[in-house]
Amino acid sequence: MTVSRVLLLPLLGGVVAATPALSQTYIDAPSLQKLVKKGKLKPLAKRLPETPRVITVAGKGRVAGRHGGTLRTLMARSKDTRIMTVYGYARLVIYTSDYKLVPDIAEKIEVEGGKSFTFHLRKGHRWSTGKPFTARDFEFFWKDVANNKCIYSFGLPNNLLVNGEPPTVEIVDKHTIKYSWSQPNPYFLPALAGPSPLYIYMPFHYLKKFHPKYSKKVAKKWKKSRKKGKLCGKWARKFRKRARQYRFQNVKLPNLQPWVNTTKSPAERFVFRRNPYFHRVDENGRQLPYIDRILLLIADSKIIPAKTGAGESDLQGRYLRFSDFTFLKRSELRRKRFTVRQWQSATGAHVALYPNMNHKDPVWRKLFRDVRFRRALSLAINRREINEIMYYGLAATGANTVMRGSPLFKNAYLTAWSTFDIKKANQLLDEIGLTKRDAQGYRLMPDGRKLEIIVEAASEGTEYSDIMGLVQSTWAKIGVRLFQKSTRREMFRRRVYAGLTHISLWSGLDYANLRADLPPDDLAPTGEIQLQWPKWGLWYESRGRRGEKPTLPKVIRLLELLNSWRKSTDTAERTKIWHEILSIHADQVYTIGVVGGVLQPIVVSNQVRNVPAKGIWSWDPGARFGIYQMDTFWLDRGEKGQRAAKNGKK
Amino acid sequence: MSNSKDNQPPQAPEAETGAETGRAGDDGRGMASEPMKHYVSDAPFDPYTVETLTPEQERYYLAGQWKLMWWKLKRHKLAVASGIILLVMYLSIIFSEMIAPYNMLNRDIKHIYAPPQGIHFVHDGKFVGPFTYALKYRLNPQTLKREYVEDRTKISRVRFFCSGQSYEWLGLIKMNFHLVCPGNGGTMFLLGTDRMGRDMLSRIVIGARISLTIGLIGVSISFLLGIVIGGIAGYYGGWVDNIIQRLIEIMRSFPVLPLWMALAAALPVTWSPLLIYFGITMILGLLDWTGLARAVRSKLLALREEDFATAAQLMGAKPKRIIGRHLLPSFMSHLIASATLAIPTMILGETALSFLGLGLRPPLTSWGVLLAEAQNINVVALYPWLMLPVVPVVITVLAFNFLGDGLRDAADPYK
Repeated sequence: MTVSRVLLLPLLGGVVAATPALSQTYIDAPSLQKLVKKGKLKPLAKRLPETPRVITVAGKGRVAGRHGGTLRTLMARSKDTRIMTVYGYARLVIYTSDYKLVPDIAEKIEVEGGKSFTFHLRKGHRWSTGKPFTARDFEFFWKDVANNKCIYSFGLPNNLLVNGEPPTVEIVDKHTIKYSWSQPNPYFLPALAGPSPLYIYMPFHYLKKFHPKYSKKVAKKWKKSRKKGKLCGKWARKFRKRARQYRFQNVKLPNLQPWVNTTKSPAERFVFRRNPYFHRVDENGRQLPYIDRILLLIADSKIIPAKTGAGESDLQGRYLRFSDFTFLKRSELRRKRFTVRQWQSATGAHVALYPNMNHKDPVWRKLFRDVRFRRALSLAINRREINEIMYYGLAATGANTVMRGSPLFKNAYLTAWSTFDIKKANQLLDEIGLTKRDAQGYRLMPDGRKLEIIVEAASEGTEYSDIMGLVQSTWAKIGVRLFQKSTRREMFRRRVYAGLTHISLWSGLDYANLRADLPPDDLAPTGEIQLQWPKWGLWYESRGRRGEKPTLPKVIRLLELLNSWRKSTDTAERTKIWHEILSIHADQVYTIGVVGGVLQPIVVSNQVRNVPAKGIWSWDPGARFGIYQMDTFWLDRGEKGQRAAKNGKK
Repeated sequence: MSNSKDNQPPQAPEAETGAETGRAGDDGRGMASEPMKHYVSDAPFDPYTVETLTPEQERYYLAGQWKLMWWKLKRHKLAVASGIILLVMYLSIIFSEMIAPYNMLNRDIKHIYAPPQGIHFVHDGKFVGPFTYALKYRLNPQTLKREYVEDRTKISRVRFFCSGQSYEWLGLIKMNFHLVCPGNGGTMFLLGTDRMGRDMLSRIVIGARISLTIGLIGVSISFLLGIVIGGIAGYYGGWVDNIIQRLIEIMRSFPVLPLWMALAAALPVTWSPLLIYFGITMILGLLDWTGLARAVRSKLLALREEDFATAAQLMGAKPKRIIGRHLLPSFMSHLIASATLAIPTMILGETALSFLGLGLRPPLTSWGVLLAEAQNINVVALYPWLMLPVVPVVITVLAFNFLGDGLRDAADPYK
């Protein structure tokens, strides 16, 4: 990051946020006004920070809204409460809808050389419990949690380390915190702005009760268990469980999100109520969020499209698939209660095949590491046919790369080795020496075994298996036999990690408008979670302690490129690095993309305002609805509806 | 038996009632409660008329057990009809590929989710014989639904005994003969097509092969196990019986579906679909024998006390011979009836497993596989014809139940 970036962040913040409230009179939500009147809650002016973040809602098809109402959305598991942290999207820094980083919870962030980050908090900002949110919460996190061997037993999160070096954390004053490293840390801000963000603060006033340093009770117990020879007692586990801010499972845990959970898990129906201390207001001085309550209704994921079609969800994107579009659209036309919108899904490929280059079996491993083999497999997929049959020809066919629309996109990345060419594929396989065939015309492996590839996927429904069926028929033409196996998610990952899976089927790169300033980690072996090279990823992740060292020169080159990207602070240079990474991927076909750019149906009830007609359905960066600021969505129920809702509450 | 009623001598009704009430021994003498009409016979007195049998009576009294069963079964109309349906179905599985108008695996990309096509006879007021209209495809841009309209100008006459798409008959012989084929260049999707443009009728016809045989093979396995284990338990009794009965109780106390699922999930993926098919049959058979074993055991316990069993024992017959030659045949008919009733359980078991995605895998097709593909809201709302495989499942299961019912009634013809 250059010096200009130092100015950039506060500046951008200035446009969106830092203008001290134009209207000094703030408007409270009617539901909270009642509580204020009863004396159960402080008046709004005392609940908001001194300088709340002012969001200019109106414009770009959006209008400033009204308070109140309940929005229903369907989820499949109790675990999905965490999605409200994603949708709520209140972070220290956040991405705007055009993918620029701006301060949000923090009033201002000063960045120097990409190495030091100074956060200025909003004075008077409060947790959802009404207790002040200050630098003490950061100090508590850093000193007593992150550096506590019992709680963070695996050490600091990777994003806080630069070449293994931890940050220097200074608590400058009550509202100022400074994180700094000797080298640039380009991951820090994107991690803070992620859908599952890096937390560098924790509610001290609540969690201190469970920490031995502040609670004599806990300390005593710990002492006892230490006598028994246990280094960390039960307290650490309990503390971790209570302190998971992302998950929204501990109802008592104070929060900064627009809505906070009030229902204990597990439940069939989770009620999220507005956070009375939320730090954003609209241009009219109305405290955000507009909507009073969010209901998460739990239903089986297979039923969710049906329920959505029956109008049981006001805002739904999750658990809807493109194949549900026709059904949803038909319900829209019949009932006229909601609209179905087509958002662009942000995956580089909707479906991709991951040959496991760390397979246990040396013969398979050698094959998967042979670029000609991967190319041949890719060439023998008739992507156009798959697109026609499954996606009405509306998806994009091609390799697994950045999506069209990203500034880094090049057509060559998409088309490399992804045309349908059986002849070429056969030729490549013959070149490798896989010339022997069995009685049915399938090829044999060099050691005489049959070339039977098992493709594993962890999915319900028929989408993946249909694609597999189509791939199967064209792979048969190059003498490669495909078997499909569907497993549970946990099993699926475990088998990949253990090197038992030949090829796995998963969604491709989950990147939205990929920018050069976003880290290219997902394209180099950096994590066990990467299905094409889990062991190399693990090697990197564990800093060489576990896993295997990458051996392919091109893969090593990817790691070098990743390192140089980290050191660089210049966007132009980073763009160059990005292009080299992308072209290596296009040429080496580490992952075999099948189709991409599949549309994501988004169902929006007619009452819900401010949901964009066109959007990008992206996880990171994007946080699904988060980037479109769900707190500015509101329910337009007309006069009648408002009255009915009021009566209903009484 | 009904035809023997017409020319019956005066004594016959008595014999008939006697036979019907299952007491063949006492000739119905104790039954005649009403006084007979008085009449004078001119015929010379023959004191042995009661003992000589008419040919019909002779036929009846000398008929073997199987013959009696058959006569009894014939009178059960529903069972006969069911039997005929099943016979036709089982015959069809030999010629599935010829009956199906299309090759099951054929994907017609231009006709994805085509609704069932009607057969027409009259075109432009003229009789042309069976034909179909061509389908015009249009993608509804608003709902993205594939819509098909009949093109009333293009007709294609259905061909009979024709050569169509090639297939391997029983996986052995390459052929292209079909009973019916779509007209040249035309289509004939009588039950519509699925998401890959495959003809549903062909898939159902070919799917029958697996769905129907899985019941038979499964029942044979469970039959064998049931007879052997139940036979041992029933004949020996005592502690052997005790152990086997406890074992059966344990097996019966398992929830069946989860057990099927666990076993089915354990089948290795690399197995060819055919092996998987046998694996599934084995699983179904291995878990189903307990009921039959119980039936065998209880029958044996009763029969081994009979005089003929004792006689055989005294003559030095070995247990194997006594069970196999003397005891089993006396209740075989009963066993067959209960086996028939067990087949639909197997068929439903396979359907359930495949429906859950644990049974058979493509490219094998069974009714369960077809139904598994139909389990989402889109099918129910937009493509209801994909749920048609339910119909043959229901028909088969009902037919087996009716037939089994008839057989059970017929199994004891003296009743």
